[in-house]
Amino acid sequence: MKLFAIKAEPGRMSAIVLSWFLFAAGIAFYFYTAAERHKENPDDRVVPTISQLGEGLHDAAFGTADEAAGRSLPARFFDSMLWTDTVASAKRFGWAMLLLVPAVVLGLHVGMFPYVGVFFLRFILFFDKIIALSVLPILFIAFGIDELSKIMLIVIGVTPTIILDTINLTKGVPKEQIVKGFTLGATDFAIAYRVVLKQILPKILNSIRLNLKAIMLFLFAGEMIASTDGLAYRIALLRRNMGMNTILPYVLWVALLLFLVDWSMRVINQKLHPWFRER
Amino acid sequence: MIEIRNVHVTYPVHNGAPKKVLAGINLTIQPGEFIAVVGQTGCGKSTLLRLILGQETPTEGQILIEGQVIDHPDRHRGYVPQKYSLFPDKTVLENIIFGLELEEFGLFNRWTPRYRRRRKIFEAQAHEYLVSMGLHETDAKKYPDQLSGGMQQRVAIAQALIMKPSILLMDEAFSALDPATRREMQRLIREVWKKYKTTILFVTHNTAEAVFLATRVIGLAKTDNVSGSKVAIDALVPPHETPEEVADFARYIESGEVEEYAG
Repeated sequence: MKLFAIKAEPGRMSAIVLSWFLFAAGIAFYFYTAAERHKENPDDRVVPTISQLGEGLHDAAFGTADEAAGRSLPARFFDSMLWTDTVASAKRFGWAMLLLVPAVVLGLHVGMFPYVGVFFLRFILFFDKIIALSVLPILFIAFGIDELSKIMLIVIGVTPTIILDTINLTKGVPKEQIVKGFTLGATDFAIAYRVVLKQILPKILNSIRLNLKAIMLFLFAGEMIASTDGLAYRIALLRRNMGMNTILPYVLWVALLLFLVDWSMRVINQKLHPWFRER
Repeated sequence: MIEIRNVHVTYPVHNGAPKKVLAGINLTIQPGEFIAVVGQTGCGKSTLLRLILGQETPTEGQILIEGQVIDHPDRHRGYVPQKYSLFPDKTVLENIIFGLELEEFGLFNRWTPRYRRRRKIFEAQAHEYLVSMGLHETDAKKYPDQLSGGMQQRVAIAQALIMKPSILLMDEAFSALDPATRREMQRLIREVWKKYKTTILFVTHNTAEAVFLATRVIGLAKTDNVSGSKVAIDALVPPHETPEEVADFARYIESGEVEEYAG
């Protein structure tokens, strides 16, 4: 096995072993550290043991034993802290994703129509350079500490990137395609929406996928600073009393959700655009 | 009829003298002619095609089609470029019927029973063109990247012809193809021209290809490095049967000793 050979072709077995190795090593290292710390201090809360993690996850997802009395497991889950926080964060995330639609439309128009371009582009380029977190206090003053300020934070943080990416993708469509469209009788709007947008849409969806982490970052920043529910609010709250046995399952839950959103978007992209091959 | 009247094209150059590409081009193209435009790289062949297409406007002079000044590409002039001739997000069938759909249905009225009825008619028309271009019906559902270069160009020609354009403009349309496919495509476009009687303007840097295909060859050439290109050759191609005859006339054209076409 030549580790640094460019033309190497890892076999199925070695690919499985190598790709899972870091996960296994990370888990092993964690539980070794937890065991060592608990030997020294049985009340250690910084690195909880597997039973403490299980207990924390169970309480977060199904409520404590007192709350559970006489209720079914699904009913307990849908009333749980984990589910309520997930729904609260998901709503904000959903709104932020919906607000990316006008961003894509704006990017398409800026890229397609020169007058729209000269009107918006300079401002968008300036807007892109504003650090979203630096305007957070302004957002809280302007929009209050309710939902709107948190959604606006995500919009300010992510939309300029999506707009600029859409502009670049629009301008990247070969001129021949646009001329061809005109020779087939297309109007300017038909070229924009039926020739250009249809070609760049899978790439835009990929761009949004790559920005999912940034969306979550701004969502978490907003929730951690001013919120009364949500996944990040809970993590910030639990930090105060060192609730690592719940924080860690929350972090893994967020990662799993993000992975699922990314995977779903990839599957939807492939289904909607069977012609698209990533190069 | 296409009239090109004293057309000059000059491009501005950043921090330099403007670049003159065409200098005083005068041509008249009759309906049904098969014109090949030849010349060296950078002599303005494609610029001339873009002017007739309406993609560019001349710095001086006029281009008239049926007496009308043109300033924008439209459905009356079909276009087959060397690359990117098909929409990658559409199947072969969708590519061919795209123009017909655009003509009758806008962005928002494609979810009506009338659209479904008309679409069936468009598809039947597209299948006819598909077969006449030597493609198989099973190719209809393929996407452009599943086709060879030659097949893509066949679809591009069908896509342009289904709109029944008064002129078909082809810009180095076969240049990226291998020699065997190129010969096949040359035979096909000759048949297309005979069948549909469309005026064709074919830009190529290959004189033998121009002679084989066209009824009239126009050669552009620069007199020096500063001036733009002028029409150096304007010759009717005599009937030819064998490759030797084609090669002989191509050599004759390249020698520049041809008489000017009287129109």
